[in-house]
Amino acid sequence: MGFGQFLAAPELKLTIVTYRDIFQNSALEVSRFDEKYEELSAIIKLDPNDISKLVIKDGETVTVKSGAEKVVVKAQISGYEEKHEGVAYMVNSPWSNALISDNTHGTGVPSFKNFEVVVQSAKGEKVTGIKEIF
Amino acid sequence: MTDNYYVCPGCALLCDDIEVETEDNKITKMYTACMKGVARMKGCSSPLECTVEQEAADVDASIEKAAAILKDAKNPLIFGHGNSSSEAQKVAIEIAKRTGAYIDDTSSFCQGPIIEAILQEKLKTCTLDDVRDKADVTVFWGADPANSHPRHLSRYSYFPRGKERQRGWEEDRTLITVDIRKSDTSEIAGNSGFFQIPIKGDAEFMNALVDGLSSKVPKTSFNFDKKKILELSNTLKKAKFGVIGVGLGLLYSLEELEPLFALMDKLNSVSNFHIIPMVGQYNMRGFNHNLFEETGYINRVKFDIESGQAKHGAEYSVVEALKERSVDAALVIGSDPLSSLPLPVARYLADIPLIDIDPCQNLTATKANVTIPCALGGVESGGTAVRMDGVEIELKQIVETDKLSDKEVLTRIMEAL
Ligand code: SF4
Repeated sequence: MGFGQFLAAPELKLTIVTYRDIFQNSALEVSRFDEKYEELSAIIKLDPNDISKLVIKDGETVTVKSGAEKVVVKAQISGYEEKHEGVAYMVNSPWSNALISDNTHGTGVPSFKNFEVVVQSAKGEKVTGIKEIF
Repeated sequence: MTDNYYVCPGCALLCDDIEVETEDNKITKMYTACMKGVARMKGCSSPLECTVEQEAADVDASIEKAAAILKDAKNPLIFGHGNSSSEAQKVAIEIAKRTGAYIDDTSSFCQGPIIEAILQEKLKTCTLDDVRDKADVTVFWGADPANSHPRHLSRYSYFPRGKERQRGWEEDRTLITVDIRKSDTSEIAGNSGFFQIPIKGDAEFMNALVDGLSSKVPKTSFNFDKKKILELSNTLKKAKFGVIGVGLGLLYSLEELEPLFALMDKLNSVSNFHIIPMVGQYNMRGFNHNLFEETGYINRVKFDIESGQAKHGAEYSVVEALKERSVDAALVIGSDPLSSLPLPVARYLADIPLIDIDPCQNLTATKANVTIPCALGGVESGGTAVRMDGVEIELKQIVETDKLSDKEVLTRIMEAL
């Protein structure tokens, strides 16, 4: 039994930036309940250094928390040329929207494009299914 | 376009050059559309079923139940509209008036402020045909059309030859992107055309550009290379016909539109620039136009049930009305707010009596008390829509269906009220 088992997986505070992806969007048009849509949506793209800090490997799942809400998604190395430690990318989807606060300061506009989250290794947990988000 | 061409309802570009082959009332082959358009027009794999309280029902029973829910509600909400024909939207506005409802669409939390400013003539705009024929400098700001509007660059803004742009992208057009990340569109713009700014840095970058255009030293708190800003100012200044495609990235970053107004004023004093909102859903802009015509407001309206008068303001927006729990029933058409709204707000929506009208099964339908399938607009039913640049486009029906169109479903609910 390794000692590491008793240590909580490290948490990392990150800013999420959302984006659009034509492949994911086309999968949505076919069906949001298909595996393909989940595969292309339930992901978070991280800087390689942030992956190291989380002590996870490319393709493993992570828990992404914001306030009282959380989802489990797959972590991927972003592959972007520029370093972006502290910033992670999520495609616009029910998984990213689940993490958006309803705090609008009365403007009627939630912060869809960038928001703060806490990320942690999900240690082999499965990705949250679309129907479980709710 | 001629009789053989159809319009794609996949996004607000409403490409009108689509050729199709059909068999047994299904589109089997498509030409010229992008992959998103093909996926939309071929139809979804899980169509919406007609249900009442999650049990199979016939259309008559579900329409009756929908009308009963709206009648019983004191403050219903009618939301969606971006994927509805203008004809259906007008009926939805009538229903809202009759029931004293809140009526709103996704522009309430995306492109609304820009469309409002354009309709109020506070921002200079142009058509996409002008862009194709004349634009020599196109800036996409917080927008990534390569993913959101896949044929924007090839049909209008960058690659095509246009009347005054016979040499196309190689010599006649300059593509600029301003974004917080290197998007696929930024890759096309190349390193000289890509301006990467920090999160929430848009307003400051706009002010710096205004300085650059005024021959002042452009300063930013994030120390953006001054030389690069001056080079960009120079490119913008020299434009004969400039366009800025405003994306959600820019809109979510600006707390108010002032910096954009100031930049446009400056640009138009030294050059010639136009704004086009990068509208997503195929007829969101149509909804804004139709509600504006009826009430003088583009979204966020609540009708007074007695006087029929429209009240407008942030408190009548879909998000605030749900958050404050001011709404006691909702009719959703052509939208899936349970997957697009922040969860706490969506949860409340799922708790109140809910009606969902859509061609396809979606998350909202899984919590709805009534679901009514409708024909897929632009494929199984025709109608009018307004393109992102404000031009009205006629959508033709391509295949037959026994489903009611969105307009027919709403008209029948209206009659049953
Ligand atoms: S760009 Fe938009 S309108 Fe044109 S084919 Fe693609 S989805 Fe359809």
